[in-house]
Amino acid sequence: MKIRRRDFFPLAGAGLLAGYAGWEGVRSRRNAIAGPSPVVVLKASSYSDDLAQRMLQGVRECGLDVRDQKVLLKPNLVEFDPSTCINTDVAVVAAAYEVFKSLGAAEVIIGEGPGHRRDTYSLVEMARYRDISRFDDLFVDLNRDDVSPVMGFADRKEMYFPNTALRADLVVSLAKMKTHHWAGATLSMKNFFGLVPGSVYGWPKNELHQIGIPQSIIALNRIFRRSFAIVDGIVGMEGNGPIQGTPKPVGVLVMGRDLPAVDATCCRIMGIDPAKVEYLRMAAEGILGNVEESRIEQRGENVREVRTNFSLIESFHGLRLA
Amino acid sequence: MADSYLGVRLDILRRSQNPDGGWSFYSGKQSWLEPTFYGALVLHGDPAADRAWALLKSWQAPDGSWPPTQGAAISGWGTALVLILAHIRGDLGEPYRKGVEFLLQTAGTESELWRRALAGVHIIDPGRNLSLKGWPWKDGTSSWVEPTAHALIALKKASAHLADDRLRERIHSGEALLLDVRCKDGGWNYGSPWTLGEDQRSYPETTALALLGLQGRAEAVSSVDLAKNWLRDTPSSLARAWITIALRLHGVAVPDDMRPVAGLGSPDLMVLALEALGATEGNYGFLKTEVSG
Repeated sequence: MKIRRRDFFPLAGAGLLAGYAGWEGVRSRRNAIAGPSPVVVLKASSYSDDLAQRMLQGVRECGLDVRDQKVLLKPNLVEFDPSTCINTDVAVVAAAYEVFKSLGAAEVIIGEGPGHRRDTYSLVEMARYRDISRFDDLFVDLNRDDVSPVMGFADRKEMYFPNTALRADLVVSLAKMKTHHWAGATLSMKNFFGLVPGSVYGWPKNELHQIGIPQSIIALNRIFRRSFAIVDGIVGMEGNGPIQGTPKPVGVLVMGRDLPAVDATCCRIMGIDPAKVEYLRMAAEGILGNVEESRIEQRGENVREVRTNFSLIESFHGLRLA
Repeated sequence: MADSYLGVRLDILRRSQNPDGGWSFYSGKQSWLEPTFYGALVLHGDPAADRAWALLKSWQAPDGSWPPTQGAAISGWGTALVLILAHIRGDLGEPYRKGVEFLLQTAGTESELWRRALAGVHIIDPGRNLSLKGWPWKDGTSSWVEPTAHALIALKKASAHLADDRLRERIHSGEALLLDVRCKDGGWNYGSPWTLGEDQRSYPETTALALLGLQGRAEAVSSVDLAKNWLRDTPSSLARAWITIALRLHGVAVPDDMRPVAGLGSPDLMVLALEALGATEGNYGFLKTEVSG
């Protein structure tokens, strides 16, 4: 297979990543993460289940206290195609809003900056997010929010981010369980691409691809460390994700405070070896979180019992978990 | 007039102008170049537009570019929009020439020598003609449809005032690039017609922008019918506004969108400005270009 235009940068970067990962590994040996990370896997067979109750259980199992905090819920809203399931389902977003309000958060905001489409409000309309009561009062278009610079982002001197995200006490990544044709998988950590403002970097946010997808994922998660993940794996996407794949029912919600641990668990559920996913390898070696199974305290469902192999595009067949 | 489709929108825009003379995307936020440009365009001749122009002029960076918002250290695509406005206002002094020079010096990174070399020996299939130069959203990134379309309008207008062969070359190359990245369905998405061997679908808003950049090119006409269909079908207020402008500039009669202002549409002030721009009596003609590569 020939390498295509937009594919070249990630592939060309793969060789360089080995060197980066090695350097990060030296750092990680000096700064090991203390203790195993709890990750909660709960069954939810459909979007009409009581998702709020399950999320509440997951949040409590993880010992998260959001009282008096400003919480930003960040769903994955990329494009809309009625024939597949690209975005975090509205039922998951609505349930998360209800849960964090009930837990005493001072403010719960829903924010997203879609990476491809210019009309954010058309997307939220099509994805039925506006079915959420008072949605327009709760929502911030992160592509067009006021911005502030953050010094140091991967190899860039500075990067601009929406003030709503920078001022949040907690960013909750409401991700979708999907394969990704460049990153292998897109889960709670890559979902932070939507925190980068299109009004500064354009549509698509090509700056992140130029930096390198794994490097950008790591840099974003270093900045937004006060985070929590809820991954919508009720119906995920397999094959040529994150846009053109096909729906894959899994029937789970995956939650945790350690985003690399959550993503590694999701990978195992999807039949992907997290050790072979570049950004997770970098996250582990760069002390962002736990990826090794022995360092993750699985709660709720047993991962092996809910494992549902996602079909992978040819170039990612090597990621398959044994 | 005040109660008309256009009048209602102009009134809201006047009332929502920030104290610094700019417009935000959403009321109460900081001023951004893009909504300020469209606000100034639709209110041309109004004191509000003069205030907006004064603000934009003050944002120019030493390299001749304009940032997307005040103080952002980003040499951005919005430079083309300010140059269009400068042309309309007849403000063609040194800042204008510096801005044009910035656009002429800016190109997407796929035109780098090493990529062209790898493509030339068939190590990579770039899926497009790498010798063509378009414009990026941000300096140092790839060419994309939208910034290329805006830059084409700006440089075509500039070519009426500046005698520079480079203008003609970049216009020709930019137009060719847009045609090169047209999707199989006849429209444009952000600029990637296929990925991993799969055709990508086009979008209404980017198709409209490509049609704006390709005014005068016969090859673009085949996409006009697609845009007409989208005008009828798209749920996006932004897309409808841009399509309306593009169709009018391609000589297609389009009735005003009669949807109410306060409906389920977007609260984005830029969308409102675009709707005003594309109204029957709106200033959409300011984006008309006569010169083609």
